Parts: sequence; C-alpha cells; structure tokens
Amino acid sequence: MSEQTSLSPQKPLRTWSRYSFPESLWSFGTLLAVLVFLTYSLYFLNIDVLMMLGALGKLVGVVADRFYPPDLAYITDPGYLASILDTLQMSFLGGIAGVFLAIPLAWFSAWNVTPNRRLFFPLGRFGVISCRAIHETIWTILFVSVLGFGMLAGVSALTMFCIGFAGKLFSDEIEAIDMGPVDAMRAAGANPFQVFLYAVVPQVRVAFTGIAIYTWDVAFRAATVVGFFGGGGMGWYLKRNVQQLENLRVGAIILSIIAMVLIAEFISGWLRSAVNRAK
Amino acid sequence: MSVLSVRNLRVRYSAKGPEILKGIDFDVESDDFLAMIGPSGAGKSTLIRCVNRLVEPTDGQITLLGQDVRTLSARELRGLRRNVGMIFQEFNLINRMSVMDNVLSGRLGYTGNIRSLFRHFPKEDVHRALDYLDRVGLSDHVNKRADELSGGQRQRVGIARALMQQPKLLLLDEPTSALDPKISREVMALIMSIAKELGVPALCNIHDVQLAKEFCNRIIGLQDGYKKFDGDTKTLRDSDLEDIYAMEVL
Repeated sequence: MSEQTSLSPQKPLRTWSRYSFPESLWSFGTLLAVLVFLTYSLYFLNIDVLMMLGALGKLVGVVADRFYPPDLAYITDPGYLASILDTLQMSFLGGIAGVFLAIPLAWFSAWNVTPNRRLFFPLGRFGVISCRAIHETIWTILFVSVLGFGMLAGVSALTMFCIGFAGKLFSDEIEAIDMGPVDAMRAAGANPFQVFLYAVVPQVRVAFTGIAIYTWDVAFRAATVVGFFGGGGMGWYLKRNVQQLENLRVGAIILSIIAMVLIAEFISGWLRSAVNRAK
Repeated sequence: MSVLSVRNLRVRYSAKGPEILKGIDFDVESDDFLAMIGPSGAGKSTLIRCVNRLVEPTDGQITLLGQDVRTLSARELRGLRRNVGMIFQEFNLINRMSVMDNVLSGRLGYTGNIRSLFRHFPKEDVHRALDYLDRVGLSDHVNKRADELSGGQRQRVGIARALMQQPKLLLLDEPTSALDPKISREVMALIMSIAKELGVPALCNIHDVQLAKEFCNRIIGLQDGYKKFDGDTKTLRDSDLEDIYAMEVL
C-alpha cells in the first residue's frame, strides 16, 4: 500500500472506469431488454422448460424405437444410389451456374469498384439481396410451380440460392481489396471492366476459388432439402418414405444424407486448404 | 503554353469536412521538374490526385494539355488520363501478376476489352515494354512475380509502367518515401534522367527537402492547404523552409 501511494505522493488517488455513464446505461439496458424479451417469449409461448429437458430423453427412445434398425438394404438399391448421383449433379450444376452469375453481380454491387454507382450498384445489390431474401425451399416451391417437379426446378432453385450466397461473400471480398492497384489502373486510363480484370481479379482470385468450393458444399446440403420440396434426388425419396411412414427407410436415408454431407464437407475443406496453400 | 495550370483549387472530402486545399494556383511548364514540399497533411497528395481526378475537386479550374479537366465525361477523362503517367508511394503494382504484365497494364488506356481480357497486347507494346524494362534495369526479372521484387525494383516497375503510357506529364506521388536513402536517390535520378530524355515535365510530391533541392528545378511549398512558396530552387532560402514547416499552433 505504501509503495503504491509513493508513486505520486502529492496527488490524490485517481479512478478510472471502463464504462462511463451514458455508455454503461446503453450496454446494460440492452442486455436487460434482451433478457426481458426472452423471458416474455418463454411465458407467452407457454413453454415448460422442465418438460423440454425431459423430452430430450424421450426423443432418443422414439428414434431408437421407430427408426432402428435403419433399412440399409434400401439405400444400397440402384434406384436410390442413382438419386444420390442426381443430388450431386444438381448441386454441381446449381453451384457452377450460381457462382458464374454471382461474379458480375458481386462486381456491380461492390461500392469501391462498381462500374456505375447510380445504376449498376443498386441493380447488383438488388439482384444479390433478392436471391438471399427468398429461402431455397421457397425458390423450389416457386420453380416447381412454374417448371413442374424434377431436376430442372431443383437446379434453378439452387442457382438462385448460390447467387445469393456467393454474391454476398464475393462482393464483401471485393470491397476489402487494396485500392492502390485500382488507383494505378484508373490513372492509366483503364475503363471499369479493365480495372476489374487487372486490379480486382488478381487480388480476389484465391478467395473466390475458396468461396466457390464452399458454395458447392453448402449447395449440396441445400440440394437435399430442395429435393424434398420437389426438386428430385435424395430429398424426393425422403419425402415419399416420410409420407408412407416407412420409418426404417427414412432412418437409412437420413444416415446416407449425413454421410454424404460429411464427405462433401471433408472434400471441400481439403480443396480449400489446398487452394490457400497455392496462394 | 503551360502543360498544366491550376487556378483557385479547393477540395473538401465531405460537405461538412475541413477544407484540405484552400485556393491553390500554379502552373507546370513543359520543361519543369517541379517538387511539391510540405509537412504531412498539407494536402500534397490530394493536390496531385486532383490533376487526373482520382480526387474530385470541389472548386477551381484545372487545365491539363489544353483540356478543362473538371468538365470531362468519364470517357474523355480516360482519354486524358492515359496521357498522364503516375508513380505512387506504395508502387501500387498488381502483386500476383508478372513484371511484364504489370508493365503492359500501363497500356490499358489504349487497349480494347477483348485484348485486355486475354492479356493479348500488340507486339509493339511488348517490344516497348522490354525496352523500358532494359532502361530501368530489370531485364533479368521480366517473368518474376511483382511481389518477389525488392522495394527499389518494384518502383522501377512502376516507372516502366508509367512510361508505357507515352505520357505527356508525369505525376509522382512521394515516389521514394517507401525506400531507403540510397535507393531513393537512385530512383529519383532515374526518373529525372528519363523525364529529361523524353522531354516530359513532372510534378513530384516529396517530403525529403534535400532530394527536392538536388533534383528539381522549381519548388512549391504547401502548408495546411495554402501555397507558401513558389519559385526557382535556387531562390529557396532557409527562412522559406522554416515558414513552410512551421509548427502549427493548435
């Protein structure tokens, strides 16, 4: 104690607080508001928290009872194996189309290098946002009602999903580039397209490749749901068996979906790290 | 007639922000190698970037090669910009491209979109690029990636890229600030000898007064958005420097 006071013997001890008055009110007020709303929601929806916790145990029982043993013979049937391939093809087509359409939209909707801030920027933003605003299941329902059930509707829905997903990530990546080369190309008299080719693309190429692979991985997961809503592939089998209460088959299909998603995730992770190493 | 003439130039980055340049007038003649000196934050970079409208002036008049810069359309501006070579403090090369591609990118203003897309530049451009790479002493590094080079070498690529434009004016924005004193002197000497050789005037931001005195025939001193000095290098006295670099009382 005496050592501390000896640091500045003449001055009184000064205090310092991390949060001064108005900020402290804001941060604690916000926290309080969130907690109050959470409690209110639980009360309003009449959720019995204790029963929820008990239900978890029951869930295991139900799953074991109804879905076990999974009908593994069903998922090794050639018809079902072909549907896995369908889903895979759907995710590839949707992913590739989506990524290619997302690149120009991302360019338009990146504020720093957009060809025109008054026309192209809002167009690009609107394109990307409208693809994101509508969930992939709703895209599927829309396309199924226009194109009918099947892969075409599924691929179209996945394309829209991938435009939204990759477009947002791409444009964020473009907005984070070093503007030095952009200045240099503009100063040399390059037009916006040339600026994009020479100052933007080399800086985002690696990141774009990674995002494109990631988009495919996410599109594959989405493809199973898209199939459920009428896009064909594994999801379609899932839906049929759910409706026919073929629970053992449903269990097997879910297992196969989990396995495929894990494989896709593994491949995508490996490819992305390979791309990053090649940087 | 002067190559560049600037009258009453005023710049604000935002409507409510501070005025960065407060009415600057000067001319660049066809045989000038003009240095712009001044403390950090005086507005040197802003001024030089107004000349080719990388920064939009708020008020005033800029006449470059007989054209009123501020009234040009986007297309006309690109046409004017390709006549003005610019060299940057941070080099602003495209790091993931080869030295050759970086140098060729100086020709973009003269190249169509399809050729640009496939990086298929005309033979005479490639020929000229090799010549300029010889001139700046990089003929052994043509195929290296720009980020494999040292700072001095990178700036030499920047010089070659600016020369590819066949410029009628060179804008140098602190070309040596990122380099050590010895390399700085070499790079300045190289730029000056090339400018003399090609008969191109230059406007050069620099904060090393010694280098400015050594290489430039005329000096403009900026302080806090005002022009404090404009005259022949020989007429610059120590009292002028003290005036330019006077500490501002807050």
